[in-house]
Amino acid sequence: MPVSTLPDRSQHGSAARFVAVLVVVGAFYLLCFYFAEIDLGRLWDGLPRLGRWALRAWPPNFSDLPILLTRAAETVAMATLGTTLGALIAVPLCLLAARNIAPAALYLPARWLLNILRGIDSFVFALLFVAAVGLGPFAGVLGIGVHAAGSIAKLWAEDIEVVERGPIEAAMMTGAGRLKVVFYALLPDVLPSLTSIGLYIWEFNVRASTVLGIVGAGGIGQELKSAIDLLDFPRVFAILLIILVMVTVIDQVSASVRARLS
Amino acid sequence: MTQGTGSGVTIRNLDKRYGTRRVFEKFSLIAEPGEFVALLGPSGAGKTTLLRCVARLADPDGGEIFAAGHPMHLLLGRALRQARREIGFVFQQFNLVRRRSAIGNVLAGRLGAVPLWRVVAGRYGVEDRKSAHAALERVGLLPLATQRADRLSGGEQQRVAIARALVQRSKILLADEPVASLDPDTAESVLSLLRDIVREHRMTVLCSLHQPLLAHRFADRTCQLETLAHHDHHEDLQLTKPLPRPHDPIP
Repeated sequence: MPVSTLPDRSQHGSAARFVAVLVVVGAFYLLCFYFAEIDLGRLWDGLPRLGRWALRAWPPNFSDLPILLTRAAETVAMATLGTTLGALIAVPLCLLAARNIAPAALYLPARWLLNILRGIDSFVFALLFVAAVGLGPFAGVLGIGVHAAGSIAKLWAEDIEVVERGPIEAAMMTGAGRLKVVFYALLPDVLPSLTSIGLYIWEFNVRASTVLGIVGAGGIGQELKSAIDLLDFPRVFAILLIILVMVTVIDQVSASVRARLS
Repeated sequence: MTQGTGSGVTIRNLDKRYGTRRVFEKFSLIAEPGEFVALLGPSGAGKTTLLRCVARLADPDGGEIFAAGHPMHLLLGRALRQARREIGFVFQQFNLVRRRSAIGNVLAGRLGAVPLWRVVAGRYGVEDRKSAHAALERVGLLPLATQRADRLSGGEQQRVAIARALVQRSKILLADEPVASLDPDTAESVLSLLRDIVREHRMTVLCSLHQPLLAHRFADRTCQLETLAHHDHHEDLQLTKPLPRPHDPIP
């Protein structure tokens, strides 16, 4: 009887498939090891050096605290304004990239644009903007903004796509156009979760922008890079502690607001 | 070109398919102005599809649909929105904006008429607010005007939806299983409220119902829809046989 053989056959199939998957994944990892030039010997040789640096880093040097704090503030400001810029750009983008709202002709182009913005890191955008508008946090704001626009719009669009269809149809039946429907029926429904997503990206951008100084886009990363270049480990240690405190505080604030929204 | 009856609904030779499944083939139905027509039939017979085609929430594959004189099968964009202002829709799941108040949901009836900035700012004119109040009073929910929609009971939510259609001043009301989610007593009171209101305002009604008893009590006429795909099954023929009714000329 075909019915009784079915489970058996599918088990055979799944065992063979399991082995095949294992082989493919294994080969993939071997390739990765080759390309990443993994060499545990070099790590072994380098460990004592790291250890010596760690010993020399104590105690952390906070003598330049005012400057470091100003740089930390620069980082937070950069992340905040960058995320805000990204959110502003994401407002029209997310509507065009949400299948249930967007005009059909604009949906795919909008998705491509999002993938381009998301696919290029804010670090790379910052590099370009440093070249275009010069050194300093302004380039960082622009870099974060452009990349964040892609991330925020994608997450927002996905949120909008799973919204209940009913209230939207009800609003359409009053003769309202697309924008009225969005403002009347869609926005009240999704606003809390859209805000939560914005905060999450902000939190992420604060962490991401700690390194933007390395490409000259301002913030505490700039201090970190010059301290490492000078092998000034007590100062590196102090900067890392400041970053840690800053990121933790931002995460806590954002998480508590998001918890209240949900 | 025949425009159909003034503020009634005329459906002529409607074809509708979902993939290979035919839902309607050369289906015709006329609802005279002010007439309450109940659509009956087993689930899958196309009651919802028919209403959605009239509202143009679904696209017919052929035939003509006139609602309040508008050729719904031809309309797009702005013209379709204009036509929809004269067509109220009451849904089985009420479809209120959950985080808005009862009165806020009733005001949705004015969306088609007011400029965008009023919708964005949530500031409606005096006349609109008055008519929303009056509509809520008519459905007996004025005391709950500021309650959030998701805090209302099912029956209350459907009353708000009826008030929304009232504020819209639609000539035609499409109702898709408006009481199927309600308990029997509530269903009856909501349906009788609906019937009274459409009579007061001379609205033409197409209302799908799965309970023949309710349909026969509240509608002027019933229309039995058949399942095309299973036409040759004996059981389905039994189910779709028109119910006996003295003054019931089924087109």
